[in-house]
Amino acid sequence: MSASASGAASALSELSSQLASAVQAAGNSIVAIHARRRIPSSGVIWRDGVVVSASHTVRSEGEISITLPNGDSAKATIAGRDTATDLIVLRINGNATVKAAPRGDYSSLRVGTLVLAVGRPGKNVSASFGIVSAVGEGWRTWQGARIDRVLRLDLAVYDGFSGGPLVDAGGGVLAINNSALARGTPLALPAQAVDRVVEELLERGHVRRPFIGVAVQPVALSAALSKQHQISGDSGLMIVSIADNSPAEKGGILLGDLLLEAGGQRLSRPDDLLDALASKQGEPISLRILRGGVLKTISITPADRGERE
Amino acid sequence: MNSAIFGSARAASSNLNGLAELLREAVVEVRSGELGSGTGIIWGGAGLIVTNAHCVRRGSSLEVDANGKWREARALAYHPQHDLALIAAPSVTGPMLEVRDPESLRAGELVFAHGHPLGVRDALAMGVIHTVARDRSKSPRWVVADVRLAPGNSGGPLVDAEGRLVGINSMVVNGLGVAIPSTLVQQFVERALAQRAA
Repeated sequence: MSASASGAASALSELSSQLASAVQAAGNSIVAIHARRRIPSSGVIWRDGVVVSASHTVRSEGEISITLPNGDSAKATIAGRDTATDLIVLRINGNATVKAAPRGDYSSLRVGTLVLAVGRPGKNVSASFGIVSAVGEGWRTWQGARIDRVLRLDLAVYDGFSGGPLVDAGGGVLAINNSALARGTPLALPAQAVDRVVEELLERGHVRRPFIGVAVQPVALSAALSKQHQISGDSGLMIVSIADNSPAEKGGILLGDLLLEAGGQRLSRPDDLLDALASKQGEPISLRILRGGVLKTISITPADRGERE
Repeated sequence: MNSAIFGSARAASSNLNGLAELLREAVVEVRSGELGSGTGIIWGGAGLIVTNAHCVRRGSSLEVDANGKWREARALAYHPQHDLALIAAPSVTGPMLEVRDPESLRAGELVFAHGHPLGVRDALAMGVIHTVARDRSKSPRWVVADVRLAPGNSGGPLVDAEGRLVGINSMVVNGLGVAIPSTLVQQFVERALAQRAA
């Protein structure tokens, strides 16, 4: 009397059961984080006793309650957060033993790879399914962090999924899901990028972001000017404001100075300056500027913005 | 892991065609008064059809379309709390979907929703089980799936990868498809028929 899609359904049901197993495997390393009103968010056991989640979902600052994969409650404290990448690292208090999430094979990831977003927005694990729709290179978040690669996802990052893992069909973690970083567009930060932030947060509680305290505006250079000073390229960055007590002020940068190079790199867009600074963590950087028609070189030691936040 | 899946993608896809074929034969379109249309699932050989209660207006005319022919139907029983209705259209026949207890569903399992969203006939949508929501007695109350539904999917089947019925699509909450567990549907039909027999 009743019918099903007959014996030929094997490939489909095999895929289905593999996906369900992937969710189950990943779920063993996903916790619920109760640090905001309404829906809890998800976090991944990144390594022994360390949970990674999305910073915007953790509203409280003190001790945070979490629900472990086995349903037990535990407390955790914040080891550090980085608003620029919207990541937060928590340390689980006491000696709850939860195994760290297995890693997926990131090298096999391409546009079109089947992926699952897994979350624990409460007691149980839930999932959504789709493909990697784009791999973005050299993306900068609106808070100024540079991320080498970011994954855009053709799947739904539901309420409570931010901070949870994006896993492959084997349940291995590829990235951390986030619905807030690109203002509503579902995307994921690759595990390697997360690793770097986690290292820094565990080590010093913040991520170092060198800054010199200037606002700049790209301006075009005339051909004659470029030729006269033997400047390659046809644009520079005009200093339009300088922060009080900033490295730039102390170093003698003046309003109206035209920035041409930083650390030997040509500057034509504001991002170029951020990139040049990021490559000089804690060391002095030499700035080549054009002031009143005269080329000058000024050396400035960037300060750490993360520390001030 | 992924490469193994890509290897079987073609096979899975041809399975999908078979699945879509089965579902096309096992569902009808339901139209009642001014309500627009919904989807109905053929339930047994006697022209019984199950759909959502909200697709069948009491006291209004009721028609079902199977294989391009509209036929008159009548409502036999309602369960407003579970949003279910049992209707009879004696000349309508088709295969009955095997029922799977949603108790055994796991998050991440593939599911398929068949129906007539926005009046488009026989549209198939794929997704995965998001979670199975339970009532106080811990038995399944809603099957929640990451699958795209639209008006017109109401009353249609949510099936697993083998084409077994796990629920009847009823509503969309926060973008997630919400279905009434197949076991509740089965109970409803059995009780409704027992009452009529008594």
